[in-house]
Amino acid sequence: MKKITIITLTFLMVISCKSDDDDQTTEPTFGSVKIDFNNVIDNKTIALNNLSYTNDSNETYTIAELKYIVSNIVLIKANGEEFKYPTEQSYFLINEEVETSKSVSLSEIASGEYSKIKFGVGVDQSKYPFESGMANFIPTAEENAMVWNWSAGYIFFKFEGGYTTNAGPSTDFLIHVGSHGTALDNYKEITLDLPSTLTIAEGAEPILLINADITKVFDSTNTHSLAVKNSIQVDPEFAPKIAENVMTMFNAISITK
Amino acid sequence: MKLLSYIFIILFGTACSSEKDSEYIPIENTKLEFTVPANFPEPSYNITLNPPTEKGFELGKKLFYDGRLASDGVISCGFCHIQDFAFTHHTHIVSHGVGGALGTRNAQPLHNMAFMKEFTWDGAAIHLDLQPIIPITAEVEMNETFTGIIKKLEEKPEYVKLFAEAFDDQKINSDNILKAISQFMIMMISANTKYDKIERNEGSVFTENEAAGFELFKAKCASCHKGTLFTDQSYRNNGLAIDPQYNDVGRNRVTGLSEDSYKFKVPSLRNIELTFPYMHDGRLKTLDDVLDHYGNGMVDSETLDPIFKNQNGTLGIPMTESDKQLIIAFLKTLTDDDFLNDNRFSEF
Repeated sequence: MKKITIITLTFLMVISCKSDDDDQTTEPTFGSVKIDFNNVIDNKTIALNNLSYTNDSNETYTIAELKYIVSNIVLIKANGEEFKYPTEQSYFLINEEVETSKSVSLSEIASGEYSKIKFGVGVDQSKYPFESGMANFIPTAEENAMVWNWSAGYIFFKFEGGYTTNAGPSTDFLIHVGSHGTALDNYKEITLDLPSTLTIAEGAEPILLINADITKVFDSTNTHSLAVKNSIQVDPEFAPKIAENVMTMFNAISITK
Repeated sequence: MKLLSYIFIILFGTACSSEKDSEYIPIENTKLEFTVPANFPEPSYNITLNPPTEKGFELGKKLFYDGRLASDGVISCGFCHIQDFAFTHHTHIVSHGVGGALGTRNAQPLHNMAFMKEFTWDGAAIHLDLQPIIPITAEVEMNETFTGIIKKLEEKPEYVKLFAEAFDDQKINSDNILKAISQFMIMMISANTKYDKIERNEGSVFTENEAAGFELFKAKCASCHKGTLFTDQSYRNNGLAIDPQYNDVGRNRVTGLSEDSYKFKVPSLRNIELTFPYMHDGRLKTLDDVLDHYGNGMVDSETLDPIFKNQNGTLGIPMTESDKQLIIAFLKTLTDDDFLNDNRFSEF
């Protein structure tokens, strides 16, 4: 402990004396981008409750609720250089029911030409508390019932509705994916190629449209039939499979200047 | 060490003295010294990321004892975690919440939290900073939201001031609320028992019974209640019959794994004399009951810890009545009066 204290203090002494004089020759500039998340089936924005869809297991379903957490957004240049959006401002709740929640505005991004975007679905608990601010997302998550109150964890992905097989009576389904303590981490990240160069510059706010193909929740890397399991909550077998599927549903569609 | 710390603080303070710093307004918020007892392991909590300070600790303590953290304005953390009983809910089988609601588990003691890796009976909280979310938001406990708490705290000038003094960003937010409570909890070190004084060679000696009990304890209990923290921090099924009222599946609730059914965290045994009733649901009233359970009260099940299965087919830890009394005599050397009476942690 003594050692840690001394090292810390020494470190503080050193960094606290860093001079402010060596200003860079060119002032860096910053710009903004708006990311629109569009939850689609057959390239059309999904309709809650009123429309029914069919999965590969021949189950017809309606969607009552769709919410997910998008986090840790990183923009990547062609040369691999990354701009990491500040962690504590980088948690967003996408709620199909709330139009404004599906449009995420990022500001103060270093100007430049970006060709890829990386983000996570959920909350990366492995970084806690090394990158602070994660807890400041609690109120938003709570208001949207995206917290498992008894397990102190966030629900990363929530998908609920009803389904029928062979025109039978409708049964509810419920899919809640999150991490299971330290036993199972369902946080995952995805990198998408952008359809064209995203130019971040002062005074401009381009719009990046990302489609999330909701059919992939059931039919992608893994095929999930609701008849096999219609309630997934802290489910060590099916939750990771759904989490894998969810990561395949995103596509960067267009950039509008 | 203290002298050394002062020297560094002085160096630190003067190292940057230049005209540029004239705008710097010093905030009087002294760092608290977090000292690891000589017989303790290194803490699991990364102190450097949330170093306890005078103001942060004061704020954490105020929050801990403030009913504003609950929906009814009454049930504080300290309501179920009473210092006199090593911060447990004395004699209450399960925790009591707002509106007379009853929880399903026995409130665990709070001490040496900085040394624990996971929290609650099932390890649902993977970091100390996250633990308070569970009781605060549970309907049968404090039934409150962080949005609600933040709003209530913002209305109180003393909180606005304390948050500003305690944290660099001066904000009342979830992160700072949880960090302040952690600062209070990590300072709650209980390491001044008779056992500790013997382990650290500070002049105390066991009585004959205690010494005999310690030998029995090492042979029969210490494989799970390991080391100076008296827990290996694992989850195990110790053969309690399933209580049909709660049917608490334990660790399974967090992991969803069938092999984790009915497993609960091995608790520390420090201050065990005072933390009755015992077990995750408080079903056993006395230490005699506990040792009777381990002696011959176990029920077999698929996840019963193999350590309790004897070669002759019996279950439990073979102990004579006199063994049990000697072990209890030893367990009483784990009571830390200094901690129980430490004013720093007291509500008033």
